[in-house]
Amino acid sequence: MSSPSSIILAIARDEWRYWRRSSLAQTVFVIALALAAASVWVTQASMAHTTEQRQHMQSESKTAFEDQPDRHPHRMVHYGHYLFRAPPPLAALDPGIDGFTGNAIFLEGHRQNGATFADQKQSSGLTWLGTLTPAFVMQLLTPLLLIILGFGVMTREREAGTLDFLKVQGVSPLVLIGGKGIALMGAGLVVLMPLIIGGLVTLAQGAAVLPVAMFLLSYLLYLAVWCAIVLWVSTLASTNSTSFSGLIAIWVLLCLVVPRIASNSASVLEASPGKLETDFAVLKKLREMGDGHNASDPAFKALKDNLLAQYDVDSVKQLPINFRGIVAQKSEADLTKVLTEFAEQSMAQQQAQALIARSFGWLSPMIAIQNASMKLAGTDLENYQRFMREAEAVRFDFVQSLNKLHAEGMTLEQDANKYQSAAAKKAATVSADNWQILEDFHFTPLSAPQRVANSVMALVQLFFAGAVLLVCIVIAGRRV
Amino acid sequence: MSEVVILASNLCVDVRAKKILKNVSFSARRGEVLALLGGNGAGKSTTIKTFLGLMKPTSGSVELDGVNVHNDPAVVRQKVAYLPESVMLYGHLTAVENIEYFLSLSGKPAAESDIANALKRVALQESAWHSPLGGYSKGMRQKTAIALALLREAPILFLDEPTSGLDPVAIDEFNRLVSQLASQGATILMVTHDVYGACHVANRIGLLRDGEIVGMFDAPENGNIDSETVHTAFAQGALK
Repeated sequence: MSSPSSIILAIARDEWRYWRRSSLAQTVFVIALALAAASVWVTQASMAHTTEQRQHMQSESKTAFEDQPDRHPHRMVHYGHYLFRAPPPLAALDPGIDGFTGNAIFLEGHRQNGATFADQKQSSGLTWLGTLTPAFVMQLLTPLLLIILGFGVMTREREAGTLDFLKVQGVSPLVLIGGKGIALMGAGLVVLMPLIIGGLVTLAQGAAVLPVAMFLLSYLLYLAVWCAIVLWVSTLASTNSTSFSGLIAIWVLLCLVVPRIASNSASVLEASPGKLETDFAVLKKLREMGDGHNASDPAFKALKDNLLAQYDVDSVKQLPINFRGIVAQKSEADLTKVLTEFAEQSMAQQQAQALIARSFGWLSPMIAIQNASMKLAGTDLENYQRFMREAEAVRFDFVQSLNKLHAEGMTLEQDANKYQSAAAKKAATVSADNWQILEDFHFTPLSAPQRVANSVMALVQLFFAGAVLLVCIVIAGRRV
Repeated sequence: MSEVVILASNLCVDVRAKKILKNVSFSARRGEVLALLGGNGAGKSTTIKTFLGLMKPTSGSVELDGVNVHNDPAVVRQKVAYLPESVMLYGHLTAVENIEYFLSLSGKPAAESDIANALKRVALQESAWHSPLGGYSKGMRQKTAIALALLREAPILFLDEPTSGLDPVAIDEFNRLVSQLASQGATILMVTHDVYGACHVANRIGLLRDGEIVGMFDAPENGNIDSETVHTAFAQGALK
């Protein structure tokens, strides 16, 4: 008698032989490989272009700012500056929420702008193929192809009567299921090859080994879970048609319905105020703080009194610094505190919603792989919020640097009389040499160990699904 | 005659509360061919499936070589070759590939020459050996399955309507093969409608009607069972 392992391999080889001779299976393989390879290639090329473009635009934006002529510093505060987020290497395989959140941010005084230039907002319906990312293909389409390929692995034997014949040859149902499972996993590995090659390319582009390895491993695990689902249903079903319709229903449920329920549940359980509501609340709070453009605003009386006492003078005109610039600095600091408070509240709500949605990963392997994939790629919500915080720090530094110039680069009199004449306007400017205040900005996602640590929960969810399915398969196999 | 190899003792099988086999008892000794004759629904295939461990007895027992089939099905199946009524081989594989595959699963791989000899022995035309079974006639598939059963060299054979779909020449060849295997020591349980074929090869014939053995005929020394006697009994049973 052959050992169970050699029988399992013989069954797996025969299943592959069946697929090689089946035109349906060949078509499925060609489609799966073509989709995976095309999505990897197109997204890699697109990301390489985007990275280059963003680096170029970042440099252009800095040059444009520094090339401004002699000006009043507050005009430069409103002239503003752009920050661009270069995508991390693994974004070529999973752009994550980048395509929806935008990749650039306009920095200016008194405002915390959101990210803009989201790819999804720029694309028309005709370019939907541009969003056919490797992650999308692997998460949504590959399970469908595995279903088409494998729905009949067990029911075919049952319908043809070969199941009983195999049993009489001494092949136990569990060994048969094992062989079919190995064959299906082999098919999953073949479809995963373009992603593996894409992963190796990201390594060459500077991605860390650990997250890339974990990224590929998580997709292998995800496809293993789908192979187990296909195997389980095919073992339980009595006919090919029952197996196919059951698997399609499960795919719709796990890949379309549960993710929708997850996002809806998150918005219901952790309701966040709308943009209009938030904008009004921010505005109300800012109005209580005084207008930073008006140095005579009573809100700045304490600041004025303190300065007068500090410099031992009677009026702001006698101060050695421009009081308007000091007000602008104080106002920007206060305003930033309020804006940051609202931004942090909003980000905490987003995190809470994401946490609720992620908990549905216990039910849907697709939600689990989405989270693991984005976290490992550095394209998840946490990395987006990290970019927003880093951008805000840059904005505050750059605006306050200009406000400092406003305070120290001219007198209050020059500043107050700037609209009197052309000469007065000229006097109320600072030299263009002062615009060299922007530091090079390079956004770095979370470190590799942090990204791996953040993905652990999603990976545990995938392992859990795999373990549950394994038990289900063994129970179903014993009843065959 | 030597020891009992195939033994059914008070075998009862119920399927969804319907009694398919009712207290069936019979035995076959080594080198013996036992044929069970019966009409549709008499319980012939159920008897074989119970011996193969594919169905469980409600009461009673089935033993092969002294081992209860349901206590140790894996060990018992090593000794068994099975030829089903409708051949359960793979349509995407050729005759040679089917035989190679099933033999590898049962741990008894055969050389190409042995496979060729077996296929010649069952008179499957050589031009068809490397064509997918999907394009075979029922008789050609049956011949492939017989070749597989021969190559398994199993000491116990279960044949379910083995000559169904075969042409007269192939039936004669098959009956000759069965007799030859039995003379070499194989014990064979065959269920069939074919009274004349059964009388030609069997040492004993049991008549099965509505799940009960209603008659048993033994072949005389160096002779065949009288087909007219069996046919009359079979026809009477069928009319009841």
